[in-house]
Amino acid sequence: MNVPAFRKIGVVVNPVAGLGGRVGLKGTDGLAARALALGAEPLAPRRAAQAIGPLSGSGVEFVTASGFMGEFSLREAGILDLYCLYEPDDPSSADDTRAVCRAFLAAGADLILFCGGDGTARDVADAVGTAIPILGIPAGVKMYSSVFALDPGAVSRIILTEGPPHLTDAEVIDVNEEAYRGGEFQTELHAVVRTPSAPGLVQAAKQVFEEADEERARNAIGAFIADAMRPNVLYVLGPGTTTAAITDKLGLGKTLLGFDAVLDGRLIGTDLTESDLLALLDHHPEARLVLSVIGAQGFILGRGTQVCSPEVLSRIGIDRLIMIATPGKLARTPLLHVDTGDSVLDRAVGKFVRVITGYGTAQRKPVGLIGDDPIEPCHEESRLAWKKEG
Amino acid sequence: MQNKIHLDEEQMPRRWYNIQADLPSPLDPPLNPKTGKPATPGDLSAIFPMELIRQEMASERFIDIPEEVMDILRIWRPSPLYRARRLEQHLKTPAKIYYKYEGLSPAGSHKPNTAVPQAFYNREAGIERLATETGAGQWGSALAFATAHFEMECTVYMVRASYDQKPYRKLMMQVWGAECHPSPTNLTASGRAVLERDPDTPGSLGIAISEAVEDAATHANTNYSLGSVLNHVCLHQTVIGLEAREQLASIEEYPDVVIGCVGGGSNFAGTAFPFAGDKLKGSHPDVDIIGVEPAACPTLTKGLYAYDYGDEAGLTPMLMMYTLGHDFVPPAIHAGGLRYHGDSPLVSRLVRDGVARAVSVYQNEVFDAAQTFARTEGIIPAPEAAHAIRTAIDVALECRKTGEAKTILFNNSGHGHFDLTSYEAYYAGRLPDYDYPEDLIRDALSRLPKVA
Repeated sequence: MNVPAFRKIGVVVNPVAGLGGRVGLKGTDGLAARALALGAEPLAPRRAAQAIGPLSGSGVEFVTASGFMGEFSLREAGILDLYCLYEPDDPSSADDTRAVCRAFLAAGADLILFCGGDGTARDVADAVGTAIPILGIPAGVKMYSSVFALDPGAVSRIILTEGPPHLTDAEVIDVNEEAYRGGEFQTELHAVVRTPSAPGLVQAAKQVFEEADEERARNAIGAFIADAMRPNVLYVLGPGTTTAAITDKLGLGKTLLGFDAVLDGRLIGTDLTESDLLALLDHHPEARLVLSVIGAQGFILGRGTQVCSPEVLSRIGIDRLIMIATPGKLARTPLLHVDTGDSVLDRAVGKFVRVITGYGTAQRKPVGLIGDDPIEPCHEESRLAWKKEG
Repeated sequence: MQNKIHLDEEQMPRRWYNIQADLPSPLDPPLNPKTGKPATPGDLSAIFPMELIRQEMASERFIDIPEEVMDILRIWRPSPLYRARRLEQHLKTPAKIYYKYEGLSPAGSHKPNTAVPQAFYNREAGIERLATETGAGQWGSALAFATAHFEMECTVYMVRASYDQKPYRKLMMQVWGAECHPSPTNLTASGRAVLERDPDTPGSLGIAISEAVEDAATHANTNYSLGSVLNHVCLHQTVIGLEAREQLASIEEYPDVVIGCVGGGSNFAGTAFPFAGDKLKGSHPDVDIIGVEPAACPTLTKGLYAYDYGDEAGLTPMLMMYTLGHDFVPPAIHAGGLRYHGDSPLVSRLVRDGVARAVSVYQNEVFDAAQTFARTEGIIPAPEAAHAIRTAIDVALECRKTGEAKTILFNNSGHGHFDLTSYEAYYAGRLPDYDYPEDLIRDALSRLPKVA
């Protein structure tokens, strides 16, 4: 038995997570009662138990909330060493999720394991920020944030990894459910948190060897873009920690969740709105837009990123887009999704996007639209005869 | 219908072809890295035997292959020329596709073609041991095979990442009696310096070259051996193209298109130089000669034609060649043999003069082509060789559109039996399509101080 990387884990289950998806509601925010009335069965407590089962007998200490918010899942998983430090309301709410996470922090937990979807991730992130790492057991309708284990089985493999935990930054993505139900897809970067990862589970050994360290890769990307910045050109930097590596290199600050602008090595605008940006472009028409790949699903241009409106994109020029991402992030992202809100612009992006992954290095990634299947091998002769084999 | 065109052992070429004789003006000389003056034979004699230094600078058109070398080459040479009829049918192309197969050598690639003469000339000069570097292990295993035949010792510095992850190549070296060390080692000053800075380093080809050169320079009985790039290496590989030209002539064919993959350039040179010579001399002015390189490391298509060092540390002579800069570290593509910042000066010169041209291709499309080839022709190619296959297929598909019945020749430089994990990565969708951000690199370089 490996020595677990974490000693005291806070477990919180959103008992109604995933309910909405089963009955076609595209999310459960504010609609749990309606989902239950439509006949949805709560699945999250069982999924949590499945994920936690392999941790029983590992010596990990568990703290949780009583009842469906964690206690029942832990008992079903065969965990004896658990302590309930919070009593939620019935029915429980997002306030309970935030409160129990604050209680975990106070009790000295070194990891929060939550079971739910993007909404739950948002609540956990609001409560703990980057104070301790968080890891999601996937059970929601939407899981665009990059804090979820690939499947419930991966949870124990990550936690039981030998040695100190390998932590990376991960984005918590907000999807506007109201708009989504109306057929519109709006995403925003809600927070950046820390999450444990097990690179071996998702990457080829060779890649790990040469490209292991996310931090090193981010610094290399930051140094490369900083070196490539030309005089008299406006550089608009999108949200995220990878773009922040550029301003770090320049000795400037960065709005983590917003858009900033750099001209000739100086920060000339922070946390810009669309109209701020259009005004800047009036004075500095020669511009580049630097964006990083966000979340687990590879969004590069989300319709809801208000700042990156079709007008902003056309003014800058879609060919003036500089995409950046660490190799680790790209390895977990088979396709990039482009959704500018303007189909002409979407098509102008083309079938492939170039993504800067290090100092002077890049990868070409296939572009997919939301809901598309992964792209087939692109060559004609590969499609001639053996497509039927799948 | 004939699938293979064979030559008898007596028909094997007895002379290598030296394309330097047919260049319109001499090659720019290598420069001594310290003085900036043209390198003299004396500059090189600490690590190379005089006959190889002479071949490096030779201007005669043909150089005899010693009988002792011929005798060993006959273990697998002449190599067969195949007509890829099943591939043609699959592609529904009017083109005729021929390929030379170098994977039948004991080491499984074209590399022994130069390992054998290099070992021979070193032994003739009284050298008892050769030191070299190897990345994925193709070259190290070829030199281990060659030195075994001349009862020499062989020390191979293998990039540590490959040493740990690709056990089969190092075992081949052991079978042939060579010593293989994971580089950096504590056997050399340069290796110890790296280990002191970073004990867990995965190593690099640049570090391994430095170790092998240092080993050779500090031991009187030891020389250094290089598996590509240099003129004499390209010279030894011309047996491939000379045989292919004979084989095609025996069925009254001459290629319209000649294709090879390019890393340091030696297998491409070996395949293409006899045809490039015909083009230079005017007997076949229209033959289209194409070098195929990875988009991750596009030396010929996006590099600068300039003097640069052959290694990362800047210890080797400066060579006039296409280069991405000696400090450029190519991404970890699976065709490890094509990860080189520079290129053979001879190949570079032909591309600059328009005698040959270059294209670059992405990793996944290369494996698409490798799979197509394996499922039609049967042979599972090395990822390096699959670059040439990719472009051969592209040319053949173009012929389908235009209706042209071009004769295509490419070099299948080796088998992929020790590269199956890269196929595994391809099937798992884990193969990144590395790219070279030329525009941003240009912007980044324009900010650097200009060096005279």
